[in-house]
Amino acid sequence: MSLRGITRGLCFGVLGIIFATGVFAGVVTHYSYATQFRETPNGPPCAAHLLGTDSLGRDLFTRIVYGTRVSLLLAPAAALLATIIAGILGGLAGLRGGWVEKTILAAADLSLALPLFFVLIALRALLPLDISPTFSVVATFVTLGLLGWPASLRMVWAAARRLRDSDHFLFATALGYSKSRLLFRQVVPNLRPILLALFWISVPLFILTEATLSMLGLGVMEPLPSWGNLLRGSEDFSLMFENPWRLAPLGVLVVTVVCFQYILPKTGETA
Amino acid sequence: MRHWTLRLAQKLLLLAALTVIGGLLCATMVRFAPGFGVDERELDARLSRSSREAIRNEHQLGVGLLAYYRGYLFGLFHGDFGNSAFLERPVSELLKERAAFTLRSVSLGLIAAWLVASGLALFSIRFPHWLVDSSATAFTGLLIALPTAVVALLCVFLRLPVFVGIALVTLPKLFRYQHNILAQASAQPFVLAASARGVSRTGILFRHIVPVSWHPLAALLGVSASMAFGAAIPLEAFSDSPGVGQLAWQAALNRDLPLITSITLLVTLVTVALNLLAGAAQEQHP
Repeated sequence: MSLRGITRGLCFGVLGIIFATGVFAGVVTHYSYATQFRETPNGPPCAAHLLGTDSLGRDLFTRIVYGTRVSLLLAPAAALLATIIAGILGGLAGLRGGWVEKTILAAADLSLALPLFFVLIALRALLPLDISPTFSVVATFVTLGLLGWPASLRMVWAAARRLRDSDHFLFATALGYSKSRLLFRQVVPNLRPILLALFWISVPLFILTEATLSMLGLGVMEPLPSWGNLLRGSEDFSLMFENPWRLAPLGVLVVTVVCFQYILPKTGETA
Repeated sequence: MRHWTLRLAQKLLLLAALTVIGGLLCATMVRFAPGFGVDERELDARLSRSSREAIRNEHQLGVGLLAYYRGYLFGLFHGDFGNSAFLERPVSELLKERAAFTLRSVSLGLIAAWLVASGLALFSIRFPHWLVDSSATAFTGLLIALPTAVVALLCVFLRLPVFVGIALVTLPKLFRYQHNILAQASAQPFVLAASARGVSRTGILFRHIVPVSWHPLAALLGVSASMAFGAAIPLEAFSDSPGVGQLAWQAALNRDLPLITSITLLVTLVTVALNLLAGAAQEQHP
């Protein structure tokens, strides 16, 4: 096995462990993410609290585990939404051509030029101030999914166009295949590798964007944890020096994103 | 030349249309957002009916939708973006005060990022070695894995100016894109032919690979500006710098919709204009 293969396997393993920790959070830790141990705020790591407690006395390890569930389950959901939109629009543009293609590509180019972060915080500001934490999570990731498609669209479009011009697609059309048969037997199987690659590329992007939004107080709201809002308050450098374990969420986030980078297919592997 | 002028005029027309559509979208966002026109001063029992009426008129509550849009667009084209609700000052005044800082930071950041990314990409193509490749990949991979807000905190901790943060955020993406484009160009048959004819590696790089690659690289200008403006928000927010990014963050936190929508519209126009300019330049020198 090549070095790249070993690295990819290792990264899949690490991601699997992190993902399983998030899914089985209730088994991994017996505390709730909101339970406060008021007698030990900013406590150091000990047997009862593996990574200590935060300034409100909440168990940091528990919050990271539940934060993993939020970040690592919803970022793929947002990536799936963005990939589906890109797949539908890109496929439509590539297969139909003409004014449909021109309109969709112009819209994608325009959306690509938008400063995503400004649009994100403008849309986030539209929401009322008293929304529940659960709604803030859903709103954050749905917004990410709805705005994240333009970067992927051109690749899907190019693949769909190649498919439209291919001999086997022409042959299937000449045989009189119905539209649904063409879609499910020709288009979807041929576009699947590129859609999968785009999905994997989008996941770390959304994790990072959510982290920045939450650190700015515009993402997932307390008391619900996410990797981003667990890093809020890290601007207090003296506290971080005294309690370096408070940077654990950053460590988990960086490891996850690096692992995603290594499992992504290299150029040419998706073709 | 005439064709190019026509294309430029088309692009300017597109920009004008985008301004109108963007303005209408902003007006819609402000008009239909929950809580539009709600003013806590109206709860004051001491106010007379006429005073309450005056407050309602201030928010244009009695105005019809079309008149509201007309008024918004008219104001927009005269440089009047309305008033900030939480700072209680005209938006245009706030933007004038802060735009220079952000534009300077973004420009310097982009120049630094482009210089370093191009230098690294050229170096790794000129001296192809696994050590150079893996070092550059590891360095840029680590930078990509950091959320922008964490880069902003690092800059605050190390007392680095905002533009360095912008450069650090845009650099890894620029490097990877440039490296891929240059690598693709260097795999072309004409490079092999030049090499077979005994042209030096540096000669091949600057006379054959770079001229072919500049076209797709120019397209990256607008996208990198968009990334840089986006990075300015957390960087200015955490470093307490008086720029448009910090203003946008404060506006979002305080739900100041006239302010946040105006900032978003202006930044969008700047980035779209840069994209169109890059496109026009590409068309003139294909």
